[in-house]
Amino acid sequence: MTLAVALVVGAALFGIGLYGALSQTNLVMIMMGVELMLGAAMVNLVAFWRFLHPETYSGQMFVLIVMTVMALEMAVGFGVATGRFRAKGSVEMEEAQELKG
Amino acid sequence: MTTLLIVLALLVGAYLVAVLEGWVSTGQFRIAGPLHSGAAMLGRESIVPRKPDRIFFEVAPPLLLVSAVLAAAVLPLAPGLVVADLATGALFVNAALAYVMVALLMAGWGPNAAYAMVGGWRFLGQLVAYSMLIVMPITAVAMRAESLVTTEVVTSQAPLWNAVYQPLGFALFLLAAMAVCFLPPLDLPDAPGELAGGVMAEYTGWRLAVMRLARAVLVVTLAAAVTVFYLGGWLGPVLPPWAWTALKALAVAAAMLLAGRYLPRLREADFLAWCWKLGIPLALFNIFYVGVLLLVV
Amino acid sequence: MVVQALFISFFGLAAIWFGVVVFRTSSMVRSALALLFSQAAIGGMFLAMQAEFLGVLQIMMMATEMAIMAIFMVMYMMDPGGLGEMDMSHQKRASIAAGVLGTLAAVGVALLVDWTPTGTVTGPVEQTRLLGIEIMERSMLIFETAGVTILTAMIAATAVAIEGRRQR
Repeated sequence: MTLAVALVVGAALFGIGLYGALSQTNLVMIMMGVELMLGAAMVNLVAFWRFLHPETYSGQMFVLIVMTVMALEMAVGFGVATGRFRAKGSVEMEEAQELKG
Repeated sequence: MTTLLIVLALLVGAYLVAVLEGWVSTGQFRIAGPLHSGAAMLGRESIVPRKPDRIFFEVAPPLLLVSAVLAAAVLPLAPGLVVADLATGALFVNAALAYVMVALLMAGWGPNAAYAMVGGWRFLGQLVAYSMLIVMPITAVAMRAESLVTTEVVTSQAPLWNAVYQPLGFALFLLAAMAVCFLPPLDLPDAPGELAGGVMAEYTGWRLAVMRLARAVLVVTLAAAVTVFYLGGWLGPVLPPWAWTALKALAVAAAMLLAGRYLPRLREADFLAWCWKLGIPLALFNIFYVGVLLLVV
Repeated sequence: MVVQALFISFFGLAAIWFGVVVFRTSSMVRSALALLFSQAAIGGMFLAMQAEFLGVLQIMMMATEMAIMAIFMVMYMMDPGGLGEMDMSHQKRASIAAGVLGTLAAVGVALLVDWTPTGTVTGPVEQTRLLGIEIMERSMLIFETAGVTILTAMIAATAVAIEGRRQR
């Protein structure tokens, strides 16, 4: 029951993050959507660790790695954003049609 | 009961810090000074600037106060005299102090004013500079105590204070502590004289009173943190434990305030460069050094 | 158990609420700080789920991360204060559909699978110790590899952002 509550919250956060990542036109806002999705993943990981395998600490370690990946995602995203802003003067994704493969 | 005592201690400490600060900055030792100016501030009108971000503007001063008090909640003043003896106390101090930056950012963005905004973003740069110098020395302290619990950090210093055991970490942490509570050589966010008050420029009346109180509590908290992590907390002969904590914390606070009187204000770019190019290697070396001491000696 | 569920749902609702605010406000600093509070509420959920170390760590890390997010938003957005009420979204309907579908699928899995929860968990002091032993013993190779890879990627990303020598 408690596990279900946590998982439902994780699902809702993931949905919001997905909406944000798809609907926003600005690179920084898209990254916010991705951050929300990663946060949802972390909620699920901790919930699984706590309620299914509280004796296995690999679960907690995985959360640590996801947390670092969030920071990495920001570093890479802002690296790209800075490069793009220098080159084109904007990070609007509507104006980045030439990146389409 | 414990909570009440700690809050009382914080308030008394904040008052003393305010007196000291007045003494350091104006040269006059006035025991009732903070009382007068506090009463005056409460009596004045609290002006809200035009087109503010109302939520940030209102939330910032209380948030600053709350984060300072929360950080103080895990610091023991005497054996048993601690609000929450968390298993991750040493980490929790960092977590609470990170919100000082959030509060100042809000205070900078909220009033819709140029000086305030410059001050707020400056403090973010300052945080990028000092945050590693808070976390890494605490790591070395926790290594020696083999625990993140703050009371165990204190008891681990019974043979030798950490300030002597790892002087490098002590110096770095003291510098970072001064940066957290934006004391004079590092008072970039509110730099009187060049930013005209910065983040505090647009606050008046009771809001400014809350902000000033929060700043004083922050200084007390940081002084207590230095005491707990490096100066052996309540350990000491003759006097009762709480008196030792109080004495050491006051001495640290006075030292931090006095340093500001004799040092010129740093540029934030210089501060950032020094912290990252010099401070972080030194902090890493400190961790290595403590590790060698623990394993070999 | 009920108290724990209550706390988890309280922090969860806060996280969801602030998550919605992120995409509904037009002020960029507000949306970055809403994301911060959403993530801090997730940290609160960790605390409610008795993962004290992770909770405190989450609350600490997100403060810095999201503040840096805020300054980049102000730097790169045309209207950071949100006073112009610009619409900054596209393909709205498809996104909403995707979001709702993703939520429903995840909720379905969460509710339909027959989980068998176990109740006991060790105290926080012991937990922190065991986590450290896990990192330094069984999962050391994984952790170190991941850590070095992530660090390399970060340095590479920063190097990309450094302005090169101007070529005329």
